[in-house]
Amino acid sequence: MEKMVVVDYNKCIGCRTCETICSLTHEGRINPAEARINIVKYEEMGTNMPMLCQKCEEPACVAACPMKAITIDASLGAQIDYSRCIGCKMCIMACPIGGVSLHPTNKKIIMCDLCQGDPQCVKSCPQQALEYIDISKLSLKKRREGVKKLARFLEEVTI
Amino acid sequence: MNGYTNKILIINLSNNSIQTIPTQEYIEQFIGGRGIAVKLLYELTPKNVNALRPENALVFMTGPLTGTLAPSSGRIDVVSKSPETKLLGGANAGGFFGPELKYAGYDGIVVIGKAASLVYIDIFNDEVEIKEAQHLSGKGVFDTVKALRKDDKDTQIACIGPAGEKLVNLSGIAFSMRNYAARGGLGAVMGSKNLKAIAVRGTRGLSIAMPDQLKDIAEKMRERIKNMPSYQEYPEWHYKLFSILESDSKSFFGNYEDTAWKERFEAYENAERFVKRAEFRSETCFGCPLRCWAYINVKDIGGAGIAACQGTLTSLVNFTKAKDFDKIWKAYLLCQDLGLDISGTSAVIAYAMDLYSKGIITNSNADDVNLPYGNGDALISTIKKIARREGLGAVLADGVKKASEKMGKDAEKRAVYAKGGLELWLMEIRPFKAVALSCAVTDSGSHNRATYGLCEFYYKSMRKQAEAVAKNLVGTEKAAIPTKYEYKPKLVAIYENFHILADSLGVCSIPFMPVGLDLWTNAYTVCTGMEATPMNLTTAAERIRTLERLFNVREGLSRKDDMIAERLFNEPLKDGAWKGEVLDKEKFVEMIDAYYSLQGWDHEGKPTQETLKQLGLE
Repeated sequence: MEKMVVVDYNKCIGCRTCETICSLTHEGRINPAEARINIVKYEEMGTNMPMLCQKCEEPACVAACPMKAITIDASLGAQIDYSRCIGCKMCIMACPIGGVSLHPTNKKIIMCDLCQGDPQCVKSCPQQALEYIDISKLSLKKRREGVKKLARFLEEVTI
Repeated sequence: MNGYTNKILIINLSNNSIQTIPTQEYIEQFIGGRGIAVKLLYELTPKNVNALRPENALVFMTGPLTGTLAPSSGRIDVVSKSPETKLLGGANAGGFFGPELKYAGYDGIVVIGKAASLVYIDIFNDEVEIKEAQHLSGKGVFDTVKALRKDDKDTQIACIGPAGEKLVNLSGIAFSMRNYAARGGLGAVMGSKNLKAIAVRGTRGLSIAMPDQLKDIAEKMRERIKNMPSYQEYPEWHYKLFSILESDSKSFFGNYEDTAWKERFEAYENAERFVKRAEFRSETCFGCPLRCWAYINVKDIGGAGIAACQGTLTSLVNFTKAKDFDKIWKAYLLCQDLGLDISGTSAVIAYAMDLYSKGIITNSNADDVNLPYGNGDALISTIKKIARREGLGAVLADGVKKASEKMGKDAEKRAVYAKGGLELWLMEIRPFKAVALSCAVTDSGSHNRATYGLCEFYYKSMRKQAEAVAKNLVGTEKAAIPTKYEYKPKLVAIYENFHILADSLGVCSIPFMPVGLDLWTNAYTVCTGMEATPMNLTTAAERIRTLERLFNVREGLSRKDDMIAERLFNEPLKDGAWKGEVLDKEKFVEMIDAYYSLQGWDHEGKPTQETLKQLGLE
């Protein structure tokens, strides 16, 4: 795993374009219930949190799968091998964040496949709330953002 | 079918019958959304029925683009006969309800009849049930939404507050806690049916004719939206809209007596300070990059945080001249929760404040409340009384026109309203001749259903762009000049068509023009698989416009009803950039003549036989 979809929920405006483009890309139709990414909303708290498979380093879904149907691709992380999957849903139960789900009509297990390295949700997000970036650079990037916040804070203090 | 679900729910609450009809037979002529809604209303509502009788149909209708990847496609159109104007009542709302309804498998819902006691309609895919709602009686919108979302937080809700239950003509239909089908008293229609709410959850989804092409077109469309000149500023409009209105010289204050209220800048600063100290996050509607909404929460004020609309929040200040923004925010939350049309409610309170300042309303008939402009506490207490129809609230609850008729000649002279008595919306209209014309001739009296974003709007701040648009549409830059009467009928007719197309396709009218009819047409084709051209969509818009007119004519509308309040013709603006501007009756009437003839209607405003034949409406 080199790159992952990084979510900045402070930028998300809750438009759900990621959901529609995801289902359109994977299923050829539009249905958020068939999307691999969903924006979880708490309206009265004003939160919009895009949730998707985080491509864990030690995936609970892989450990739980009795058929070894979830394989780990070096660059795309956990991927479902449909030739082995029996639809037992253990992966859904094992995932701690709801990264795996069940297709509402054909009952297949679905999870983010990073669109084979070209995630459409990232491309279409009007807010750049989703980024597909090198994981090794993530913390450095966050540190830089942290410094900016700190700089603003220090400015306020000196004034 | 692609794009459409091809099912419209027909629910009769009098006998609990639930049926579906196919959408298909209406598509070619009326597209969807507003177009099919008015067709169904025309077919199902008997002539001259009282709007609050069970026979009046309440129609919720999405369009073929609603819920697709096309941007800004969260819209749903709601029409019924309006209790406020007794004409066509139409309102269009964004948010997330429309898409969810389509994912459940329905293009629309028609509600007729009246339930024996308070009920709600619960929809999960094929399961449609009418359920008892006594436990929600008298509940506000916020509590109603929370209660109906108890088991599934992704459920989308359309509901009324206590104002709708009390048949207040200024009540709207709330979509979750934020968007409204606000204008024309549609909440009262829902209340008259004993229908508290519609809850919908859908997991069936939508088929799309050409998925890959839709992805390409949608990307282009989003780019065009992000290239709108105001795009970057949008998230700040919750306090900046005041200065935008100023820069376009559209500001008005109170009951339209001034455009340059001296203390306004203090009010604007208070708004900015309030927003900057609030918990504030930009929000938007389904599929839309624009961010017209923002979640606002200030601890200890109003007891709730919600996503707020820039326009209606601003209008509360303009109308009531209340400078204390804490009170404005409380008033906003109250209107949202009680189920009131904020524009109409602020207008009628400004009207009452004006009458109070002139001694026409006194403390004795204002329930011992001091009601001068700027009194935030009086604003709040009056909102509550309107929603409950108590005291002065009972006089004001059905809008400015009806209130004026109860209070005598002097009060009638001060009343300002559009066609049918509908209150105006967030701008001074006397200098803006096209907007003024649309307030008189449009389907429902609501200019934001006809001419929102008209080039007159931004002539002062972006003259070059306004002139370019005017030239492109009617062949001359001069048409952009607000105070000119020439070319305006044509401009209004063209913008109405844009609005009708946006409302019928199921997309928002704000980005409609910036994206351009070419791309919307392409989006229609790739979603539905049906060939279309801008020309034949425009013909459909003309057909829909004429059917709206036929409905109003059937309900007794004639030429004399295509009129706005007299005061706008005899009280020139006394200050501001447009000092001295007033509407000229003679020229106004000439505009109406020209508009009728462009639409193919006769001198009385009735569509001619030839027009009906051309449009296939015989």
